[in-house]
Amino acid sequence: MLNFEFNGRRMSAFEGDTIASALYASGVRIFSRSFKYHRPRGLLCVSGRCPNCLMSVDGVPNVKACTERVRAGMKVKSQNCWPSLEHDIFSVIDKIGRFLPVGFYYKTFINPPIEWSRVEWIIRRLTGLGDIEEEIASATGKGPKDGRSIHSSSFEHLNLQADVAVIGGGPSGIFAALEAGNAGARVVLVDDQPALGGHLRYSGETLSIDVATGEGAYSGLKSSAVASTLEKAVRDRPNMTVLDNSTAFGIYESNLIGIVRGNSVIRLRAEQLVFATGAHEFPSVFQNNDLPEVFLGRGIQRLVNLYGVIPGKRAVVVSNNDSGLGVARTLMDAGVKLEAYIDSRKAVGAPETLAEIEDAKVQTFLGWAVKEARGSKHVSSVVICEVDNEGELVHGTERVVSCDLVSLSTGFETEAWLLNQTGSRTIYDELLREFIPRELKPTVYVCGDLTGIHDLNIAIMQGKVAGLSAAVNLPAMERSSELKVEYQRKSLETYSRLVSQYEGKYREGMKRTRGPDVLVVEYPGSDKMRKRFVCVCEDVVAKDISLATFEGFDDIETLKRYSTVTMGPCQGKMCSMPSLHLCSRVTGRSIAQTGRTVSRPPYVPVAMGALAGAELHPVKLTGIHYKHIELGARIMDMGEWKRPHVYTSVEEEYKAVRESVGVIDVSTLGRLDVKGRDAGKLLDFVYTHIFSTLKVGKSRYGVICDDAGIVLDDGTVTRLSETHYFITTTTGNVEFVEEWLVWWATALRLDAYITNVTAGLGAVNVAGPKARDLLQKLTTVDLSSGAFPYMSSAEGEVAGVPCILLRIGFVGETGWEIHFPAEFGEYFWDTLLEAGKEFGVKPFGVETQRVLRLEKKHVIVGQDTDALSNPFEADMAWTVKFEKEDFVGKAALVAAEKKEPERMLVGFVMKDSMVAHDGDQVFSQDGSRHVGFVTSSKFSPKVGRCVGMALVTPEHYKEGSLIRVKSDDALNGAEVTLAPFYDPEGKRLRA
Amino acid sequence: MGFLLECPNCGKRDVYEFRFGGEAHKRPRVNSSSEEWMKYVYMRENVAGVQQEWWFHRLGCHKWFLAIRDTRDNSVSI
Repeated sequence: MLNFEFNGRRMSAFEGDTIASALYASGVRIFSRSFKYHRPRGLLCVSGRCPNCLMSVDGVPNVKACTERVRAGMKVKSQNCWPSLEHDIFSVIDKIGRFLPVGFYYKTFINPPIEWSRVEWIIRRLTGLGDIEEEIASATGKGPKDGRSIHSSSFEHLNLQADVAVIGGGPSGIFAALEAGNAGARVVLVDDQPALGGHLRYSGETLSIDVATGEGAYSGLKSSAVASTLEKAVRDRPNMTVLDNSTAFGIYESNLIGIVRGNSVIRLRAEQLVFATGAHEFPSVFQNNDLPEVFLGRGIQRLVNLYGVIPGKRAVVVSNNDSGLGVARTLMDAGVKLEAYIDSRKAVGAPETLAEIEDAKVQTFLGWAVKEARGSKHVSSVVICEVDNEGELVHGTERVVSCDLVSLSTGFETEAWLLNQTGSRTIYDELLREFIPRELKPTVYVCGDLTGIHDLNIAIMQGKVAGLSAAVNLPAMERSSELKVEYQRKSLETYSRLVSQYEGKYREGMKRTRGPDVLVVEYPGSDKMRKRFVCVCEDVVAKDISLATFEGFDDIETLKRYSTVTMGPCQGKMCSMPSLHLCSRVTGRSIAQTGRTVSRPPYVPVAMGALAGAELHPVKLTGIHYKHIELGARIMDMGEWKRPHVYTSVEEEYKAVRESVGVIDVSTLGRLDVKGRDAGKLLDFVYTHIFSTLKVGKSRYGVICDDAGIVLDDGTVTRLSETHYFITTTTGNVEFVEEWLVWWATALRLDAYITNVTAGLGAVNVAGPKARDLLQKLTTVDLSSGAFPYMSSAEGEVAGVPCILLRIGFVGETGWEIHFPAEFGEYFWDTLLEAGKEFGVKPFGVETQRVLRLEKKHVIVGQDTDALSNPFEADMAWTVKFEKEDFVGKAALVAAEKKEPERMLVGFVMKDSMVAHDGDQVFSQDGSRHVGFVTSSKFSPKVGRCVGMALVTPEHYKEGSLIRVKSDDALNGAEVTLAPFYDPEGKRLRA
Repeated sequence: MGFLLECPNCGKRDVYEFRFGGEAHKRPRVNSSSEEWMKYVYMRENVAGVQQEWWFHRLGCHKWFLAIRDTRDNSVSI
């Protein structure tokens, strides 16, 4: 026994019980209160298709109690009622229901006598589904441990592939899977139940199966025993994957099936799709048809045969097809007294079963239907009535049958939603009164109840045909041995022929027993019966549908939106057919003409967390990362990278770089190798500068623009040999630059090959007046300014590590950017710090680097430029070489050069001790006009004041121009400078 | 969106392995009119139907290729 809590009460359940079966067995009859009228609702479908048992489980709202297994200790709460399910104050709305007609909100709040904002809080309190509990809403990650934990790490994604995917594990799905598997296909069978077998698990019948199906051996056995045998047969096959408890919720392009299984989403890709999704029942529409203990027939069978729950004492079975006879038998076998068997047909397909029912002294009413159910919180009796050939109730024939349980076997609807998502169509079959598949897309097969035919023999053979067809049409099968394929084609022919024979017989039988259509009871005055529920999700009654159709919403799609029918949690599973019938009746169009609404994924609600999957955020660490941690660096995020922000203090680090030497880990820079005969040509075309004339061993700064002339990236380009260039890009932008270069190389058909070498290389920048002294200790490469001038490069060993050395100076000092195999990172770093001790070397972080580069007015693309900046505005006109015949952005830049720029990037120095921040707005000196914004700003130790860069209108692009920076509501004075703040001639850089 | 795309190097792969590179249009000559450049840089056809477009196999061979895709049902040919 398992114990759990329901509304604070201790409950017990058997292993395998669902919440609903355990509660029902403990005497609970009301499972929810309805959406609008707060009417009591009980179990209906017992299969997760209707909205009647939605509950809050361990804080997760809207869990279907009839499919959720009981776990020890779980906390279950009812929803949408106060103070309790049995006594809900808001059920008073039910008494004034006639004031809430269809379109209530539209009609009441469009020209307000009542202000929406005044009543919104009341209406929100009264309507709506479950509440999200506080702790869940704040997503603290402290969810319950088992199963439904809300912590993101419990969600995951899985990818699967199959030759044949079979959706639906009922008898025909199982035989489809077995046949496809026998033929050699890799099969995945998807079923939403904990065990395979479909209705065989709970129908409780003794099977009679024809020898012709090839499965005659199962004849005479109990259906549940056959279900277990078949399940074992499927699970034992090596080329078969069974996904139980898994619901296919959507079919996407290229046969991608979205499947939800608990907290996981499975992406299944299959060559062929077999749909064996079956059919579900829905209730017919009569007065008080929503009372607790009015069940769908199969719901009763599930309760009795799956969970061993006796659902009532005195039952009435209402039917219009042969499945009602099966329910009657289930009830009699369970010892429930049958008060009456009511069938709207005059003849049944299984007379021997009817005879058994009559033998048991049960009153049978053929050609009768239910007019009304009576009772307040539970059904206590039904009013039944004769029907004529048109399906009209015959006035005056009413009889009252008292009972405490009503079973409805009033129609099947094919579960074609997923099938429709493949683009395959369904049409309404007047004889079968169901939408059946037609015009199947290639690679799509159907079988079983989904075809509108409810016959086990046919289902088995249809399954075999579908499975075999799917397998023999696999591209891979054409290559398999002739003989085997020949044999499969033969048996496919045989079964196909048998299926059409049997189907013909089945249709003849349907014609013989066909009765009138009493899906929605109507008779003079029935409009006053305002509790004939069509949609139990949204509390839409028959009158609402008629009225809406009458008001002009007579297209099924507009009717849906206006009345909200089919738009509730069940998404039309209970109400689609009845609303169609009503619409067709009012408009005089046939059901086929009326058509069905389109159903999009997801077929069942899927948790957002499951769709999102596990929270897997990529993190990139440089090869030196753990050394930074050892040194006590404060780490910051830079895109996916982790970088040291600062080690000790900006002042100390700044001083080291400016006065002796500093080292910074720049492994996050993007690095690309460009090789090939046309490598120079490619770079000339993609960068605004010229690189084909660059001498081997030299470096040059470059800017990449797009054809609109917008700056995309910048970096250095170094020529290592005639056909080999080495490029650095902005941190985080390397993937883009790679794609960009490869694209142009492809589009221009150039002999140039781009390799992203970022992950393979570590890099440090050694900068400062003592940088040369430090490095010369570790390398034989001549670093003297004559041999290794600014903007040149060399390949050589430093500390025994093979390196590329670039003499560039982002921070404005003598310095080398050294690239080396990433695996030497820690050794290289330690060696540099050790060798630099005598010079007072200090590691410096990103924050210090930002101060250093800002003093040099070195631009950071994306920080000091935006999505509209061209090189002229960025004050980098010198990088644009118009003498080239063509390059990316040339046409736009030629045009831009002729025009006065709209804004210019300038440097500025704040007056006195005033401070500016990144993003502060800039105004004219008199404060009257907005002229731009600050892109970067920091305190400069060199200047002793706050300095920065700003994009401003061109009239301020002159030395000494006065501007004001708005900071903390004050307009602080600043002065424009065009030269760098530090070492404007670049003497230190070149030293 | 979950269709398969056939990379000429790697074969059929999930579309999430690729980066969409937009409609394929011929780049104007450098001295073309500004109208032509404006059209090339800013205007897109956005057809409901078949179009030629660029794709980059970012989680595969890192190659660009042209594919013909029907924007209505994402069926692709090369």
